Amino acid sequence: MTRRVPFAAVFGAVLIALLVGCSAVSQTPSVPPRHPEDLPVGRINCLECHKDVSTGALKPYASFRHSRVFIDAHGTYARQGQSLCAACHAPAFCQACHTRKEEVKPSTKMGNRPDRMAPHRGDYTITHRIDGRIDPGSCFRCHGNKNDANCRQCHR
Amino acid sequence: MFLLPSIILVYMNGFFCENMFIPNTVLGVRMGRPTTVASSGKRLLPSIVAISLVLPLLLAVTVRAADLSASSSTYLRYYERELAGGKKNTFAPLYEYLSADAANLGGAPVAFHFYGWGRVDLSDASGSGKESGDLGSAYLEYLHPRGNAQMKLGRFFLAEGVAVETLDGGFFKVTTPAGIGISGYGGAPVEHSILDNVSTGNSLYGGRVFFVRPGFVEMGVSYLKEKGPFQGKDRELYGGDLWLRVAGPVELTGQAAYNQSTQAMASQRYAVRVVPGSRFDISAGYEAYSYKDLFQTALHPAFLSPSVDNADKVQTIFGVLDWEVVSGLTLELAAKNIRHDKANPGNANRGEAGVRYAFNDRKDVFGLSAAAVTADRDENEYQEFRGFATWSPAKFHFSLDGLTQQYKKEINGKKNATQIVASAGYKVLSSLSVSGDLTYTQSPTFQQDYAGLLRATLELGMTPPGGKK
Repeated sequence: MTRRVPFAAVFGAVLIALLVGCSAVSQTPSVPPRHPEDLPVGRINCLECHKDVSTGALKPYASFRHSRVFIDAHGTYARQGQSLCAACHAPAFCQACHTRKEEVKPSTKMGNRPDRMAPHRGDYTITHRIDGRIDPGSCFRCHGNKNDANCRQCHR
Repeated sequence: MFLLPSIILVYMNGFFCENMFIPNTVLGVRMGRPTTVASSGKRLLPSIVAISLVLPLLLAVTVRAADLSASSSTYLRYYERELAGGKKNTFAPLYEYLSADAANLGGAPVAFHFYGWGRVDLSDASGSGKESGDLGSAYLEYLHPRGNAQMKLGRFFLAEGVAVETLDGGFFKVTTPAGIGISGYGGAPVEHSILDNVSTGNSLYGGRVFFVRPGFVEMGVSYLKEKGPFQGKDRELYGGDLWLRVAGPVELTGQAAYNQSTQAMASQRYAVRVVPGSRFDISAGYEAYSYKDLFQTALHPAFLSPSVDNADKVQTIFGVLDWEVVSGLTLELAAKNIRHDKANPGNANRGEAGVRYAFNDRKDVFGLSAAAVTADRDENEYQEFRGFATWSPAKFHFSLDGLTQQYKKEINGKKNATQIVASAGYKVLSSLSVSGDLTYTQSPTFQQDYAGLLRATLELGMTPPGGKK
């Protein structure tokens, strides 16, 4: 019975949210589910068209400039919400890397797109020994409890 | 192109069967908890997933063609591996990655999203069997037109506060007019254990309470609990997150996780970022984590003793710069100082510099980069150099990517590795592209390795102008 409590609490909260949703929800317009304009190829700079603060994401568009800085820290922003991301990226975009038991590394799938940031280029079976020793926390985010199908060949 | 959806469906069937209907007693010995206890969360899941899959079918009759999109990526790889004893295996795995999105179901702001992949081997088995696959996501999503309120139901990837999970269950998020918001989620975690006789977590739930003032601040506290066999304890985390625009282009970000199960901070990351315009972006920060407290939930032996010393702690100082010096030409610099409590593996520094030049209306990019890792211990030092270029005349697309690494200490008798990937492709139709890659690798693992990949990508974009990447 105890194990049912958290589920009851979550779905109870969903029900309450539904019941009072119309009056309790912020009147700020949501980010549209699809970007209204065709997007150019390559890294996006929202500031080419947008100014100041996104009314949907509630942060300046500058924060989402797809620079190396943003790409390295994208998780920090995603943990506070993905509404703005979802306007341009299909849900499957995240799962090119964030998966449960992937067999093909992103850089192999995107071998024709060397311009994109993709982890584990080259013969990473060698380099991962070094990167894993000096900063295993960066590996753990994706490989700690998922995305491990290939690891089992050696790690048992 | 669509040779493998049936494989994906087979593994969807596997998803229902393996995750929900197999009694716990056949999953092997669990650590720290009885093997015969079935969680109530898993009992709920068949109905949750069934609803999320069946409802879109029921509503599909009302979906306008303009709101449907699908993407298929088919990869045929070819490579050989020489085994001990001189035997040579030939591998030709055929992969299909399928994603589909249907919006405005029933004329409401409800969408259905699907993503999965499957593999069949046309030659020797490349994995544990000649077939494999996974259902990445299949969920219904409701997006409220105001306040980014949303709900999800089914299997989905979730990033919310301390949670970065794939989940079979539900999620909601709502922000009030006062700027105070709440989110919650619950279900069964979708994980993959490679530890023998250890199963994944049984149920996972949590939520986040936050305050947001547009353009100025967003701060939140979050909680996550996963019932499972994690070194004899459940996984229980408290988290905090902060985004604060201090002044003009300066923002502070922070995130921290406290592990209640080990009674200690698991990880922290703080950064200051300055984005003064559309061409310059610089960030510096501090990151710290403790092996024992961050890796408590590992289902991968590389993160557990004896592979690592769980008493170790890491502190990192980092800086990153991205500067578009002139139109199309971008300079990237990054540096990181990593300090360990333990002499083995010891401290390390990584520095890298690179330039990228975008041309041909930014459709093509040429890039060069160099990186060096210096460390207390020789086996952790290496240098890395990379060059790449793409060229897209008319309907063709060519690319070349070269990467070489020099290790300070020999690995398997070698001190360097090189990989070159050459690719050529053609856009057959506006929605269909085909391409082929040839990869050459020389490394401590490979004497001389050649691998091929054929790729076909179909984008069925029955979508209005705009769209997704």
